[in-house]
Amino acid sequence: MSKQSALRDKLERSTDIFLLTAVVFAVAGATPFVMAVTMGDWEYWVDWKDRRFWPLVPIVLLIIFPAGLSAVFWTRFRLPIACTVVVLCYSLMRWVSTYLNFHVFAGYPISFVWPSVFIPMAIILDCSLIITRSVFVTGFCGAFMWGVLVYPVNWPMLAGFHEPINYHGEMLTAADLLGFEYIRTSLPEYVRIVERTVLRTFGDAVTPLTAVFAGFLSVLMYYLWWLIGSKLNRQTWVKQI
Amino acid sequence: MSTTTASISPIPEIVADESVDENGIPWTNYFKVIIGIAVVYSFVRVYMHAFAYTMGLDYFEPEFATFWMSIFWLQAFVCAAAFAGAMGYLWVTRERSPDTVTAEVELSRYFKLITWLVGYTAVVLILGPLAGESDAAWHQVVIRDTDFTPTHISLFYLGFPALIIFGVGSFVYAKTRLPMHAKQSLVPLGIAIGGPILVLPTVGLNEWGHTFFYAEELFGAPIHYGFAALGLALLALGGVVVHILLRMKDLIDEVTAEVEA
Repeated sequence: MSKQSALRDKLERSTDIFLLTAVVFAVAGATPFVMAVTMGDWEYWVDWKDRRFWPLVPIVLLIIFPAGLSAVFWTRFRLPIACTVVVLCYSLMRWVSTYLNFHVFAGYPISFVWPSVFIPMAIILDCSLIITRSVFVTGFCGAFMWGVLVYPVNWPMLAGFHEPINYHGEMLTAADLLGFEYIRTSLPEYVRIVERTVLRTFGDAVTPLTAVFAGFLSVLMYYLWWLIGSKLNRQTWVKQI
Repeated sequence: MSTTTASISPIPEIVADESVDENGIPWTNYFKVIIGIAVVYSFVRVYMHAFAYTMGLDYFEPEFATFWMSIFWLQAFVCAAAFAGAMGYLWVTRERSPDTVTAEVELSRYFKLITWLVGYTAVVLILGPLAGESDAAWHQVVIRDTDFTPTHISLFYLGFPALIIFGVGSFVYAKTRLPMHAKQSLVPLGIAIGGPILVLPTVGLNEWGHTFFYAEELFGAPIHYGFAALGLALLALGGVVVHILLRMKDLIDEVTAEVEA
């Protein structure tokens, strides 16, 4: 290897290490921060994981950072890894926070505050981009799958908490009962019941309906945040600030 | 296959700088920043776990003043001094003739800019899922009685000043050291740094609202929308990465061309 090549390798590898550190820290810090104040409660509490809002709100909002960063990673570097990287970093930091903050510091059981799984949907979204090499098709098909799959992917963990319980003559879920035992200031109207109002009479259709709606909204969000990501990352300079 | 090692041409500024290696890469500072921030926050965290519930539940108790308000005043002084000192140092030692900066020196300075950004994003990492969500969890179990509650002491009055120091420091470093930034400013850099820094005034709004009409801590409440909008400004960091990579690629080409094959 010539001296020139050796030096180039060393400099480029160092650049990669320095930049990747900053990018990973930024993604792992910013994504949970923004998600906390948008979809926060739906991800923090098992009694917020209903069939009406939970399959819709978190998955539609979580696509913001993956779509925005995909606009840079794909158009500039042809790297179809943004969604997976973002969701992996997000999931890791959510678990660190769940354990340290909600379990150790605040005393909630892990079974009450476990975060949902989004990694399979992120892989599908990135694989759509690799396979089709088309942003349009990825948004149309990949983002739709991203939105639709949140309920089945998390069902193995969630099912037990939706078992009905007869508690002093009142029907509620195991998640509801946990919620009453662990009072939080974020209880909406201070009393929350999973499956309130008319949902109990709608039978099976609620979940697939919400999933399809989440899929459509995810498609719109993917295009929107891809556009915003592209705009935010343009190399624009101003002479005076 | 044998490998040969090479380094960039020995430039006096790089040779004299003890914080960089023979190629002008500040590995020492890179590790110092990450480890330093991790150590400081670890101490903060251990202290919080030890004294939040025992000494931090009632603002009007004398123990609260001893264990928490004293930390607040110490932090205020240290952060103000650090900000003034850092910005003053960067300004006083600024590059006086940016047109004469060599490729080797500019490359080294880009590595140093990234080190500043590593510090900035390390603080973002702590403010988001660690300190930020510790505050979120705290407000679920403890009724608000003050804006100087234990979790706020580390989050708002240490974390955000640290974010400002590293963020403004990154911007000022670029303006005072890098030729491309001497007479113009990169918009994505301004957004990526300005956005999160503006979270501090948003904190003012947040605390005001929680004090008067919104004592509970519903995460998705409209009073928190400012945090979401400003946190999204970090999407612009991609533009900063693109700029840095494009410029460093040109500089690496220039620097390696001067080395004998």
